Amino acid sequence: MGMLDELKELGVDVDKALKLLNGKTALYEKLLVKFADMMKKADIRTDFDSSDCTAMMETTHMIKGSAGNLSITPLFKAYSDIMQLFREGKPEEAREGLIEILPVQETIIACIDKYSGA
Amino acid sequence: MSKEKTILIVDDVDINRIILGEVFDDEYNIIDTGSGAEAIEILAGDTDISAVLLDILMPEVNGLDVLRAMNKTGRIEKTPVFMITAADSEDMLMESYNLGAIDVIIKPFMAQFLRCRVDSVIELYEHRNKLEKIVEKQVARMNEMMRSLVETLAAVIEFRDCESGEHVRRVSLLSEALMREVSNVYEEYRMPEAEIEKIATSAILHDIGKISTPDQILNKPGRLTAEEFDIMKQHTTKGCDILQKIPDVMDAGVYRYGYDICRHHHERWDGRGYPDGLKGDDISIWAQVVSMVDVYDALTSERVYKKGFPKEKALSMIKNGDCGAFNPKLLDVFEDALEKYEKKHN
Repeated sequence: MGMLDELKELGVDVDKALKLLNGKTALYEKLLVKFADMMKKADIRTDFDSSDCTAMMETTHMIKGSAGNLSITPLFKAYSDIMQLFREGKPEEAREGLIEILPVQETIIACIDKYSGA
Repeated sequence: MSKEKTILIVDDVDINRIILGEVFDDEYNIIDTGSGAEAIEILAGDTDISAVLLDILMPEVNGLDVLRAMNKTGRIEKTPVFMITAADSEDMLMESYNLGAIDVIIKPFMAQFLRCRVDSVIELYEHRNKLEKIVEKQVARMNEMMRSLVETLAAVIEFRDCESGEHVRRVSLLSEALMREVSNVYEEYRMPEAEIEKIATSAILHDIGKISTPDQILNKPGRLTAEEFDIMKQHTTKGCDILQKIPDVMDAGVYRYGYDICRHHHERWDGRGYPDGLKGDDISIWAQVVSMVDVYDALTSERVYKKGFPKEKALSMIKNGDCGAFNPKLLDVFEDALEKYEKKHN
């Protein structure tokens, strides 16, 4: 089983992403590796306080956009909800959403790392 | 196949730039940047860009700042901007539209739809830009024709007035220089460049009423009697009568300025001019400008009854009020305008 097959099983809409990239599998894999790198550098914390909310919103926004474009559907959906909760001024519920998605996120990144040799 | 059109992609996340580039790469040149500041620089240059795909939320200079910069330079009128965003706040999206963005595309986007929307808007803009260029050319041609007609009218006067054909031309060009100087220096007299050009054309008409002045008065070598002077003064109102009979020959703006200049280019700042005895800024600034330039040119030119005064003497006579009172603000900038005019035309 390759990276894309395994990601499909994790809920990534690989076919949709490949359609967007004109069927360029190698390019898609390269972008997934970039995404994994970006996620490792992103400051995603569940122990944020009210002074961190703006920065957390910016990070959430960035992940949401990129995950959406790469059709990493579980992350796109989760970060869309988290973004909405931040906007509605519900940081506690946003924190719960983050706690819930972090293991899924780690699994997806680990899968990408496994095949990219990172 | 060579690509003729270019798309500028602005997004701080390189993944998003690469994906967008992939959607358009087959038919478009792609310029991409992760910095709003760099995008502003690119858009301020001469690069021919068919469309901009612009992220809203970016660090330091964001997408709205880029739109604001495009508004300042006028680029927003020529180049369509698509905001590509992960559903930001409604306020931001509305502000994007208010700042001239043509459309908002929400991430994740469908490649085919995005491509179709961008392609069709680019085609519409190209068509519109092409039409605008055609209209600009036609307007320029019409203005040239109108100026020729106006110059022809003025030439008739000059033949009768025994002046060299250059007087009207000099009055027009120096009026343009003085009007521009006044507009640059004084906020209250500021005028768009296109209006200054119309005033310069209108200045050609200032003495058109002299066509009705009898030869023996117009070309009398000596001093005019009071009665003769009264007839001479009528050239201001007669000029308006002539223009009223041919309003359609010229642009509405030129007609309006021309009418005012014909009537009021002998008014004086202290109210001692004619025909209406207007005072101060009741005299339009363009009539004041042509008035001062007309006097300066008359002083420095040779006539059948006098030699031309040197420039310095003419300037000192105008400043001393020997030829009637003028607006002090005009007096202050006249020499600078004269210097610029001489540099450009001598």
